[in-house]
Amino acid sequence: MEIKNCLKVFLLLLILLNTSCKKLVEIDGPETSLSSKDIYNNNATALGAVTSLYAQLSLRQLGGPGELSGLSCIAGLSADELEYFSSVGDITLNAYYQNGLNSNNVGNGYWVNSYQRLFVVNAAIEGLSTSTGISQPLKKQLLGEVKFMRAFYYFYLVNLYGDVPLVLTTDYAVNSLAKKTDKALVYNQMVADLKEAQNLLSSQYVGSDGVTPYSVDLEERVRPTKWAATALLARTYLYLKDWTNAELESTKILSNTNQFHLVPIEQVFLKNNKEAIWQLQPVYRGTNTAEGNTFVLPSSGPSVINPVYLSNRVMDDFELNDKRKTKWTGHVNANGLTYNFPYKYKVTSSREATYPILEYSTVLRLAEQVLIRAEARTQLGNIGGAISDVDIIRERAGLPLIETNNPNIGKENLLTIILKERRIEFFAEWGHRWLDLKRTNRINEVMQVVTPQKGNGASWKAFQQYYPISLFDLHADPNLVQVPGY
Amino acid sequence: MDKIIRVMKLVIILLTTAIIQVSAASYAQKVTMKQHGIELVNVFQEIRKQTGYDFLYGDKIMEQAKPVDLNLQDVGIEEALEICFKDQPLSYSIENKIVTVRLKKPGFLSRIAAAFGSIDASGRVVDSENRPLPGASVKVKKTGKGVSTDKDGRFFLRGVEEGAVLVVSFIGYLPKEVSASANMGNVVLEQSLSKLDEVQVIAYGTTTQRLSTGNVTTIKADVIEKQPVNNPLLALQGRVPGLFIEQATGFAGTGVKVRIQGQNSWNYGSDPLYVIDGVPFSSQLLPGGNSILGSSGASTDGMGDISTVGNPLSLINPADIESIDVLKDAAATAIYGSRAASGAILITTKKGKAGDTRINFNLQSGWAKVPHQLELMNNVQYLEMRREAMKNDGILMPVPGNFGDNDLNGNWNTSRNVDWQKELIGGTAGYQDLNASVSGGGNLTTFLIGAGYHRETTVFPGTFADQKGSLRFNVGNTTPNQRFNIQFSGSYLFDHNQMPNYDFTGNALTLAPIAPDLFDQGGGINWAPDTLGNSTFMANPIGYVKNKFLDKKTNLTANMVMSYKLLKDLEFKSNFGYTSLSSVYTNKSFLESNPPEYIQYSSRQTTFGNASSSSWVIEPQLIYHKKVSQGTLEILLGATLTQNQGKATQILGYGFSNDLVMDDLLSAPRVKPLSSISSKYRYNALFGRINYNWQDKYILDLTARRDGSSRFGPANQFHNFGAVGAAWVFSNEDFLLDHLNILSFGKLRGSYGTTGNDQIGDYQFLSLYKPMAQEILYQGIPIYLPIGLTNPNLQWEETRKLQVGLDLGFFKDKLLFNANYYRNHSSNQLSNYGLPIITGFGGITKNQAYKIRNSGWEFSLSGTNISSGRLKWSSNMNLTIPKSLLVDYPDLEKSSASFTAIVGRPLSAISVYHFLGVDPATGVYQFADKNGNPTSTPVLGIDNTKIIDTAPKYYGGFQNTLSFKNFQLDFLFSFVKQIARSYFPGVVSGQFYAGIGNLPVSLLNRWQKPGDVTSIQRFTNGDALSQSLYNVSRSDAFWTDASYIRLKNVSLSYTLPDHWSKKMHLESLSVFAQGQNLWTITGYDGLDPESHSIALPPLRVITIGAKINL
Repeated sequence: MEIKNCLKVFLLLLILLNTSCKKLVEIDGPETSLSSKDIYNNNATALGAVTSLYAQLSLRQLGGPGELSGLSCIAGLSADELEYFSSVGDITLNAYYQNGLNSNNVGNGYWVNSYQRLFVVNAAIEGLSTSTGISQPLKKQLLGEVKFMRAFYYFYLVNLYGDVPLVLTTDYAVNSLAKKTDKALVYNQMVADLKEAQNLLSSQYVGSDGVTPYSVDLEERVRPTKWAATALLARTYLYLKDWTNAELESTKILSNTNQFHLVPIEQVFLKNNKEAIWQLQPVYRGTNTAEGNTFVLPSSGPSVINPVYLSNRVMDDFELNDKRKTKWTGHVNANGLTYNFPYKYKVTSSREATYPILEYSTVLRLAEQVLIRAEARTQLGNIGGAISDVDIIRERAGLPLIETNNPNIGKENLLTIILKERRIEFFAEWGHRWLDLKRTNRINEVMQVVTPQKGNGASWKAFQQYYPISLFDLHADPNLVQVPGY
Repeated sequence: MDKIIRVMKLVIILLTTAIIQVSAASYAQKVTMKQHGIELVNVFQEIRKQTGYDFLYGDKIMEQAKPVDLNLQDVGIEEALEICFKDQPLSYSIENKIVTVRLKKPGFLSRIAAAFGSIDASGRVVDSENRPLPGASVKVKKTGKGVSTDKDGRFFLRGVEEGAVLVVSFIGYLPKEVSASANMGNVVLEQSLSKLDEVQVIAYGTTTQRLSTGNVTTIKADVIEKQPVNNPLLALQGRVPGLFIEQATGFAGTGVKVRIQGQNSWNYGSDPLYVIDGVPFSSQLLPGGNSILGSSGASTDGMGDISTVGNPLSLINPADIESIDVLKDAAATAIYGSRAASGAILITTKKGKAGDTRINFNLQSGWAKVPHQLELMNNVQYLEMRREAMKNDGILMPVPGNFGDNDLNGNWNTSRNVDWQKELIGGTAGYQDLNASVSGGGNLTTFLIGAGYHRETTVFPGTFADQKGSLRFNVGNTTPNQRFNIQFSGSYLFDHNQMPNYDFTGNALTLAPIAPDLFDQGGGINWAPDTLGNSTFMANPIGYVKNKFLDKKTNLTANMVMSYKLLKDLEFKSNFGYTSLSSVYTNKSFLESNPPEYIQYSSRQTTFGNASSSSWVIEPQLIYHKKVSQGTLEILLGATLTQNQGKATQILGYGFSNDLVMDDLLSAPRVKPLSSISSKYRYNALFGRINYNWQDKYILDLTARRDGSSRFGPANQFHNFGAVGAAWVFSNEDFLLDHLNILSFGKLRGSYGTTGNDQIGDYQFLSLYKPMAQEILYQGIPIYLPIGLTNPNLQWEETRKLQVGLDLGFFKDKLLFNANYYRNHSSNQLSNYGLPIITGFGGITKNQAYKIRNSGWEFSLSGTNISSGRLKWSSNMNLTIPKSLLVDYPDLEKSSASFTAIVGRPLSAISVYHFLGVDPATGVYQFADKNGNPTSTPVLGIDNTKIIDTAPKYYGGFQNTLSFKNFQLDFLFSFVKQIARSYFPGVVSGQFYAGIGNLPVSLLNRWQKPGDVTSIQRFTNGDALSQSLYNVSRSDAFWTDASYIRLKNVSLSYTLPDHWSKKMHLESLSVFAQGQNLWTITGYDGLDPESHSIALPPLRVITIGAKINL
């Protein structure tokens, strides 16, 4: 009897255990995380997830490829703008510099970070589209921001790698087998995204709630607005050689003189200046911009911390009395040599507990729109309109105006002048030079000369205008093919 | 009832004897007998022959009779009997020519009844020290009927024939045959010296090698304490077949990789389950801690696992351990279900024993050194290399300036010749280990209290030490009625680890021999400024001596086992356990460890970290134990409830105003959170086992378990596991018992079953976003990032284990042979599936359809070679031949693993280029392309066609114990046949950066001019040959033979003769010398073939000490 009773009790226990088993192995997510369901159902966290894109652009340093903001340095090295201080012994930097990349040494490149951000973008589009928990104005703004960002990443991806897979969902099963998409189709997507972004985004700079515009004096130009979308769209049309639309879009901003106008040379890279269309707020303590930290050489010259300096090719291209040469470049004498360096951003890092934040890293600025319109107008035969645009830039740089010196300049010559103006205006900024050389099909002509001079005497090959994809990704996606040539 | 039957029996016997007596013929009444030492029984027979008198006696009674010396010449029967019974414990009476013999005790009737009927035999089974042996079996040999002893060792066997042979047996003791009597007193069992009878701890119970159906190897305290190691796992190296252990570094608290019967899982969870006194223990520490300790072989790309360093078992004091049992096959492990796919290691701690209070001390102190140095270039050779590299590259002038070629541009003194191995890793580390314990108790209550202290320093310059203090106790109590028993143990260990957070070994091997002194004349760090004041010795590592890393770890474990005997055959038992591991660390880096140039970019910083994990477990069990037919049936039913919680945070404080305030976060002007981790793991299960042992001949073992784990999605949390094990002790078969003299034991056993693996990170089925630490928030907005791709369909990984074993004992078990064949099939692999980054992440954890087969042979042979008089010699040898194979991978070619996995090849196989030496024309490495033609530009994915297997081919150990008089010598050789990454075959030879650039002398055998045939490419200063070096690192030249035979452990001890120690008022005293990693034979080209890295290798440790028992 006793046995039976005991067994009964035990069996009862077991049954109890079994029925409560489910409960016993169920867990909530960790306190340190949020589930993806929750993240886009709350104003603050949705804003936080989208803001991560800007914070990460701002986080990166320039010492190696990664976040696109590093292009100011890396694409400058690949082109004819920056020189690499070889004693540093950084194999990656050296490979970008000497145009000696291959699928083994390319590492993460810009490929990895950009597609990681695109996952966040696509997840946000999916999350925001179905969300019911966040306010309508915020939803609209954030959707606009991520559509803008999607175009932004794809713009650089196609210009750095050629054809790339166009990934528009978060479904890994689909994406892991993605093929490369023709560049033209990627551009179509960019145009579509940017047009949507123009409609969705606020025309005012919004504050930390993602909705409320700043009061006039306290404006922070650190989130994309309708104007950022317009600026990128103008650039996209320029790259598509859609001159009419390029002029149309750039004109939209250029006529918004209330919000945007050119500022004196000394103020172009100051935070929240009127020329800035979109800037990045610093997130490192003691730091204004990565550009200031990396480019500005100390008196001891280049080193591991400052591994690049400005090429003499840039220095030699400045016209006489160009204010940009005196204001935007600096030099030091070290190791018995003179090293020039980009000095657009002047504030270097500080160890002081309190330090002034004067400069923000500028992603999009009005001067580019001026030169986009100049180029579009030239192509469309509006030489006069083009000249007046170019002269805005030349005038600010203290250079003689074309209007006065050479008003009858031909189309080709004007295009050459515009391209050179872009080289000088945008040196060491966001890889403009590297992209312009490709866009205008002048890359082979230029690099054939430059590459052998960078050491090793290796010759330039046309395929090197695109960076290779790392071997790992090629292995992981059977449908992905290497950039031709590599 | 019994009594009536007994009385009736008596009546029948009396009647029969009466008839005999009537028919007895008439004989002479005189007796003549002359014999020495004749048995009384024989005397009775002779007397009967001569006189016709009959004798009435019981066999049992006669056993107490003494032989007699007789010298009788025609004496009367009464006189003869008088003489015979003189001094006998017997008396007699004569009645009608019948002599009735009885014990000289009163109580006639009952004695007669006892003598002639069946009796109730009772007694107590004890060991040689008079301690009761509960659970011992007492069986009537003839009928197989039997009982077990109670908690006090007592037994009571009803209705046994007086004098019947009883077999008394108990696990770990030699069985004994005694004859039954009413009051048998103490039956003393001698402890079996046969390995076969040593107690083996298995999941939820114990067994012996003789009766086990599974594959279990046991290592006892005496073996562990002979080895000066800081982690008990290291004491198992080379001693357990099927167990491969690799020590990552020579630091105290080093990572230790443990694999039982190979790697079953592609990249998650190949760690065994550790169970200490029934409570599961972590196999990996939480992330954080000092990275120089090296990894314990956690998953290679599991989230969050990469940063785990060190090994949690280093927080267990080896001196506290009574035994370690390694469970390998399904029969032994399936009852642990999902957690035992990679085997289980059960650690049993020491418990108090009844008897006099004993006080033990074990004190040892020693020295440790790096056992082997590489032969590196001296200054002349080094400079020759550098100048030749310059010349090869067409560089005429060394680069001036402090960032230039300091070794050649005049900045450094080229006549210096420093042995950096001696300077940086040539020191002697100290080793101290002190343990004391008090134990004792009575029959009902026992206790043990122990304390330990362990200290190790490093071979580096500077003073660093790892110190551990530990306390433990154990109390056990049994109620007088023996039904309730409780054991409670607790231990607390505190580890104060102050080590550098930098391993100097890499610098020791690569610093240029002409590099400047480490310290300047003022005792500061020597940055060797040039004439302009710029630092030239940026790579001076000695700054790391100044940095302070302090890791304070604690390990608290407590467990309680309660058992209550509900009924004679039914016992309820429950484990309660709690463990808590915590670590609080600070990592300080001072300004002065940076060269002056970098100070403006640097700041004083301290990383404040803490990590803790705690878990509890409750395991109620019901055990039913009964004789059924001629066998023993044991049924176990139980449940497990467990939860594990982990938390870790890291905060960086920086910008401190001075060195003194760096321990306080409040003094940091700037603070940055680095990471926070929180995890919870819940797990529960129901399990059961049925074991039936028929006459110790046929043993059947069935186990089953149903598991639920929180690591899987709601649909897949539960799963069933089970195993069948069987053993046939054929040496107990009658047909063999009579015919084989050499073979004393033979057993054939086999098992088959399933186990699982859930060793992936927590929460992987949830899609999660994590906040990202930022110094300054972007627009004041906290940001969130997705952690990874989620897979809500995650399931258990399953391993099917098949095992067949043969155990043989020869020459009365003096020679034991053991062979095992195992074959484990792992499927539904939980692994990281590589994804292209266009999916947002590099991979996803997913169950994959491929199968891994781990098979192998394990052999062990142990024997007592000499056991005569004062000299004893025994040895033990084991060998494991493992093989792992990727047997099936559906749609491999479409998978991202297609470049790394090869079906039909070992799991550890990699495809590399085949190295063809140096192109004699260009001096550059060349390789075979896919057609076998030499090329210097092989293409990955096409030309890497050579397959090599990186797993060990075989491994094992050879151990000997010699004792002569009071001396005892033990030594263990361990051996491994394997290949490993070579030390530096293809580093850029000729380059110099900031002080680094030296290489082994062997690289001097380089290509110098066209036509040279060598295997080392030309020296070069720049990056020109970097691709070539990358290629060589992916070729078979990079994999070199790293087999070794190592004199792993030697222990020599001398026990003082008893009368000496008695004089000193000691129970016993022995002194000893021990050594670890004493001597290695290897062809490996790096520092050490076991760690095969450029981390500090396992050290050679030599200690002396004494063991004192009061």
